[in-house]
Amino acid sequence: MTDSQLQSRQRVDTVSTDDTPLAIRIRHLRTVSKNALDELLKSRTATMGAIMIILLLSVCFLTPVLATHNPTKPNYRERLAPVSAEHYFGTDKFGRDIYSRVLYGGQRTVFIAVAAVAFGLILGIPLGVFSGFFGGRFDAVSMRFVDGFIAFPGLLLYLLIITLAREWRLEGVWNDLILIFALGLNTMPEIARLTRGTALVEAKREYVEAAHVVGEGSVFIALREILPNCVSPLIVNATVRLGYIILIIAALSFLGLGTPPPTPDWGGDLSTARDHMESHPMIAIFPGLAICYSVLAFNLFGDGLRDILDPRISER
Amino acid sequence: MLIYAINRILQIIPVIFILSILVFGFVHALPGDVIDTMAGVEAAEDPEVRAALEEEFGLNKPIYVQYFIWIGKAMQGDFGKSLVTRRPVNTELIERIPATMYLALVGITLSVLIAVPLGTLAAVRRNSPTDYAAQVTSLIGISIPEFWFAILCILLFSLHLAWLPSSGYVEFFDDPQRSLWYLILPALAVGFRQAAFTTRLTRSSMLDEISKEYVDTARSLGLPESKVIYKYTLRNALIPTITISGLQLANLLGGTVVLESIFAWPGIGQAIFQSIQLRDFPVIQAGVLVLGVMVVVINLLVDLLYRVLNPRVGMG
Repeated sequence: MTDSQLQSRQRVDTVSTDDTPLAIRIRHLRTVSKNALDELLKSRTATMGAIMIILLLSVCFLTPVLATHNPTKPNYRERLAPVSAEHYFGTDKFGRDIYSRVLYGGQRTVFIAVAAVAFGLILGIPLGVFSGFFGGRFDAVSMRFVDGFIAFPGLLLYLLIITLAREWRLEGVWNDLILIFALGLNTMPEIARLTRGTALVEAKREYVEAAHVVGEGSVFIALREILPNCVSPLIVNATVRLGYIILIIAALSFLGLGTPPPTPDWGGDLSTARDHMESHPMIAIFPGLAICYSVLAFNLFGDGLRDILDPRISER
Repeated sequence: MLIYAINRILQIIPVIFILSILVFGFVHALPGDVIDTMAGVEAAEDPEVRAALEEEFGLNKPIYVQYFIWIGKAMQGDFGKSLVTRRPVNTELIERIPATMYLALVGITLSVLIAVPLGTLAAVRRNSPTDYAAQVTSLIGISIPEFWFAILCILLFSLHLAWLPSSGYVEFFDDPQRSLWYLILPALAVGFRQAAFTTRLTRSSMLDEISKEYVDTARSLGLPESKVIYKYTLRNALIPTITISGLQLANLLGGTVVLESIFAWPGIGQAIFQSIQLRDFPVIQAGVLVLGVMVVVINLLVDLLYRVLNPRVGMG
């Protein structure tokens, strides 16, 4: 470890007597985030990933401003128009502006991916922490349950859930919610396993024993003492998972199981583009590039974070 | 070892049991009346026809009875008849599984053939241009959507250059040469993504091995570098690569649905996908269960193989 690395790791707060609890807390938060930022900037991969993610998120937020056309309004006079100053990415077979569709599609995709990972974390973390911590029968039952989910091959669980939900003829946002539910449900097993693995190790540490001795309740120990120590592998996994889920969303809508047209959608748009790709290959390019970019951003960031959080690898 | 193996085999029984409940539950939660689909709406309104069909497929019994009848027969290898084609489900599956296996096996083999040399080279020449090129390529490889890569390949090799057929399937034993001809693009699409994974894995496990003490010892004994790398290090570094490739194979069995649909490949994923859309529930149940069992069994074999190859791993 270099000197500067040591310094940044050693930056801690000093508390004086006339500090208010709030001031201490704010300063602590500041130190922690300053340290985190320092670490982050040291990894080129993580920095690049972070920049790409920030760019992606800003574009998602600014979509209404950046888009030049209504993404769903057909214009039959301008079908399959080439790339031009009017249509940056050209138009599709209904004459819709591909640039605007890519932007709006991205907004939806990123939102769904983030929500799905969040849902998976909410389901998986408690399950993992409690099975790792309590062990015994609860652990055995819940892990077999998790294994059962993992044994569901490939995309089939999503296909089943989404087709199932199709029967309710849901519209708009509800469709996205089903997608989030399906993706989140399938994120749960991996998160639970990962959390359990770390919790299992942590549960044998002295500080847990100490907490027991002091008389803290088991649930309290699991959530307040053990959970915070399981966080770093989870952050890495969740980041990489975001990229993976964007790929799954695209694949599902490519198969026609995403949000029904005319909603802009990367995978769905690629699927429609197939009809005309022989004569107009460009329409099959942009949505694909958008998917690639977003997945790459999360993968880069995840790689970088892993290097930072797992010193065994980074200092090799 | 034997005790461990028996233990692991016993463990998969509840997993398969839970998987079967999940599949059955999901499938029977599918709204939409199977009888309507089967007999057409008019005939379904005739109570006699309805009753006869319900009797034929056992739909008039309570749900848990249906489950036990199904699982009981399934254990004897009888999955009933397809509601759509009225043929035994077994025949349907047996026709489809080989195509998927063929694609998955060739894809995985291809990926290992590319990834192992590339990953090794990248690790041996760490931080060289070769290493960076390998790292960037593999990062892009895991970020690119498989189906988009497939579309781009079709665009280039079938439509633009007209070298390869864009889709279709010929059985290997009917005409090996044409069969391989049709296999190239799909296998390339499967292999590229897998190769990206495997390259990253090989590189990092090679780096792990190279930094170990026995390598220094071997070098100080004056062994030639090539012997140190290829005889000792690589052999150890390949253990995780083999393991993960095995797990990937299991994943691919249900994970090639999208590629199968692009290349009109008559695999099991496609079959289950179509059955889901047609509500052909005996085929869905059997397909998912069979694939799930294959996944669990492959995982088990890989796990056991890993422990045989790497006796240092505990049997806990």
